[in-house]
Amino acid sequence: MDTTNQNALKKEGFLSELYGVLRLNIQTYTILLALIGIWGIFFFTTGGTYLASQNVSNLFRQMSVTAFLAAGMVLVIVIGGIDLSVGKLAGFVSVVAAYFQAHIWFEYLPDQPLLAAALTVVVSLLVGALFGALQGYIIAYLRVPSFIVTLGGQWLLNGLILLVTAGKTIPANQPWFSDIAQGYVPVTWGWILGLVAIAFLFWSMFNSRQSKQKHGFALRNIYIDLLATGFAALIILIYVYNVNSYKGIQNPVLLLAVTAMIMIYLANNTRFGRYAYAIGGNREAARLSGINIPRMTFNIFVLMGFLSGVGGIVLASYVGYGTIAAGAGYELDAIASCILGGTSTLGGIGTIQGAMIGALIIASLSTGLQMMNVAPAWQYVLKAIVLVLAVLADVYFKKKG
Amino acid sequence: MENDIILEFKDVTKKFPGVVALNDVSFKIRRGEIHGICGENGAGKSTLMKILSGVYPKNTYEGSVLYNGEELRLGERAIQEAGSKGIAIVYQELTLVPTMSVGENVYLGREPLERGSIDWNKLYADTRGILEKYQLDVPPQAMVKSLGVGKMQMVEIAKALSEDAKVLILDEPTSALSEAEIDRLMDILKTLKKNGITCIYITHKLEELFRITDKITVMRDGKEIVTKPTMEFTQESLVSYMVGREMKERFPKAKRLPGEVIFKVENLKALDPDDASRGVLNGVSFEVRKGEILGIAGLMGAGRTELVMTLFGEYAKIVDGKITLNGKEIKPTSARQAINAGLSLVPEDRKGMGLILIQSILKNISLPNLDQFSGFFRIDADAELRASLTQSKSLTIKAPSLESTVETLSGGNQQKVVISKWLLSKPSVLIMDDPTRGIDVGAKYEIYKLMNELAEKGVAIIMISSDLEEVLGMSDRVMVMCRGHSTETLPVAEATVERVMTLATGVSSDEKLMKAN
Repeated sequence: MDTTNQNALKKEGFLSELYGVLRLNIQTYTILLALIGIWGIFFFTTGGTYLASQNVSNLFRQMSVTAFLAAGMVLVIVIGGIDLSVGKLAGFVSVVAAYFQAHIWFEYLPDQPLLAAALTVVVSLLVGALFGALQGYIIAYLRVPSFIVTLGGQWLLNGLILLVTAGKTIPANQPWFSDIAQGYVPVTWGWILGLVAIAFLFWSMFNSRQSKQKHGFALRNIYIDLLATGFAALIILIYVYNVNSYKGIQNPVLLLAVTAMIMIYLANNTRFGRYAYAIGGNREAARLSGINIPRMTFNIFVLMGFLSGVGGIVLASYVGYGTIAAGAGYELDAIASCILGGTSTLGGIGTIQGAMIGALIIASLSTGLQMMNVAPAWQYVLKAIVLVLAVLADVYFKKKG
Repeated sequence: MENDIILEFKDVTKKFPGVVALNDVSFKIRRGEIHGICGENGAGKSTLMKILSGVYPKNTYEGSVLYNGEELRLGERAIQEAGSKGIAIVYQELTLVPTMSVGENVYLGREPLERGSIDWNKLYADTRGILEKYQLDVPPQAMVKSLGVGKMQMVEIAKALSEDAKVLILDEPTSALSEAEIDRLMDILKTLKKNGITCIYITHKLEELFRITDKITVMRDGKEIVTKPTMEFTQESLVSYMVGREMKERFPKAKRLPGEVIFKVENLKALDPDDASRGVLNGVSFEVRKGEILGIAGLMGAGRTELVMTLFGEYAKIVDGKITLNGKEIKPTSARQAINAGLSLVPEDRKGMGLILIQSILKNISLPNLDQFSGFFRIDADAELRASLTQSKSLTIKAPSLESTVETLSGGNQQKVVISKWLLSKPSVLIMDDPTRGIDVGAKYEIYKLMNELAEKGVAIIMISSDLEEVLGMSDRVMVMCRGHSTETLPVAEATVERVMTLATGVSSDEKLMKAN
């Protein structure tokens, strides 16, 4: 709009503009730097094995369950809510999935493993979404605070898990079902997917530049955009190369990547996402703009429940059984992932991308500390320090910026 | 008898950036009197009281305030100092903790201690003592939130008196009270007077001034205009003191030719959503034509904002009446319905209700209009940009880009964002609640011009303003509200300041009532 401003930007050198961009997005970069720092430290303390392909493979799989929960949690926190039940909901879904395989399908469909696995998935997702709908209804329409409803939900789910399992461990190891989280994408397909993803990154970058140009917005220096996109592409290449030299991209990681992309799209490019951020940004203004706040709240909790269902399926498939302890504490990891990734506890601000990096940081810390044989007591202490430090840095930079 | 003067203001001047709120104010208040201060919104009444109660300490204003003949020097902890000297204020917005008992509120922060723990028996006994002495009819152990507004005010008064107040300031004390509660307050004030307490009574309700005060000071544009015994005023002279100024050329004039009636409200009645026993709208009727600006005038608490929020489906439950828009009867129960029917509302509280401050101009403008650019799944970013850009250009929003966050803009530009957002929804009727509040003169003029342009294009505009000049300067017709009902709708040629003020203060309706009786 302001042409003098545009010209001024063009005249500045590449480096000073790069510095400007870095400063502007300092929150995003602090979290990325923290991740790289953590990886660096573990790389040296483990003598390089930390970033060996088998371990990288494990790392990403470990983060996946938390990350599914965090992807939904971002929107819940953005609208000013919280969901304390997601860990136990994922746990309950994993137990239900195990129960259906071991006791129902095994009896009625003993010789159709593919159908049984598919039905297990459908039932699991339904259970997740329905439980989300129940909580969402109480929160949105009966106006009970989400903190209380979902705390109650956590207790209720604990009870349900005990009821279904009767205190015992149920196996969930049908071949097709196990493949969901234990399988790998064939190496060639891994490369193809990686290249498609990179092509998509460049395409969307040029697309967004073109659209900005058409409407006369100030464009960033093309080299900065190329640098940023190139960096992301490099990470993808390294990742694919790394895991392909072990067994390939794990199925749950691919599932997570797809889920995260859908969620990012939902958050940025749909009315649903816009409304969520508007509600968190200013509830009154959102209401007067004609947004149906109860309906949005309900839908977001249903989505959260659905994603907990996905997490539960991956959990059951990966560990191979349903236990009474399944999912315990995952909700806090998910919340921490969001906060680490820049989601504001006050609502209105937060990105799915950030939460994914947050989940990766938490998984990286856990795996690294375990590899170094740090005593569990100290693992907790170190994780606590990293969490608080990261948010402290965020607060500090926000004040400065 | 000089020591009969408890308070004296001497050449008090208070400046804010760009505004002189108080200009050389001097007058005296006698001990034991009820002294009324009146004036239009923005006349400087509240600023003066904030100086007295220590909200603005000594070094932030010029001139001096003498209290019992000595200069009042309030420093760092000015509000507490003023309190300990015996000056207490009962604010417009009540400042009680609703979840605590009456006694706890009265002694909040000054709880009587018995070896380190609170002596509850003494606290409640002392509270009861104060309540009984001044005949305040409230149980000391009742939870404050269980009380009505009138009783809460008694608690506020008791709190002030418990600090041994000598001067009690009441700032618009009756704006939220029912008639019976007002009567009760008047009795309390008489009891206080008997006990030798000086009261400063700020209001713009003339009848109350005549009913209770001994003296009246009239303020206007930050100046003290006149101070004399209440007996020497008449209703008419008081009004002319309050408004006596000429209209300047502040408003761009436009020739408008209003078309057919597009929006009609008949005998609208609605109840307070927080207190169903109180009617907030007690019979409002008006109509607006295409291409016309209808001004709604009235005093604070007359129900203007409540009216427009109710029309927008977001405030009170409508119990009676009929709303017709574009020939169809509508019953809005949510903002979405109102928007779809063709209404838009630029709300009173720009930051609190109009904007999402942490988001970009673009997102703010498109928020209520996203259905224009998107199906269920995808927002057409190009269309969104195009529409928002056209809108922001035609309103000349000054910002580095549409991606700037709204919180970085000036008040005037923020208001333009709110207006853009609502124009994009192509309303038939645009409601503007105090559209120029808190923005500078230049931006005001631009908004006036914009209103004229919109009216020329056939939009019907309903404008509320607490600035009477603005209402008279911009409107084709003026509807005056008083206590939740519409009194009269005047063509602007007949709407003099005096006439509107008389209608707004309810003087004429009282006369009618008296005649009817």
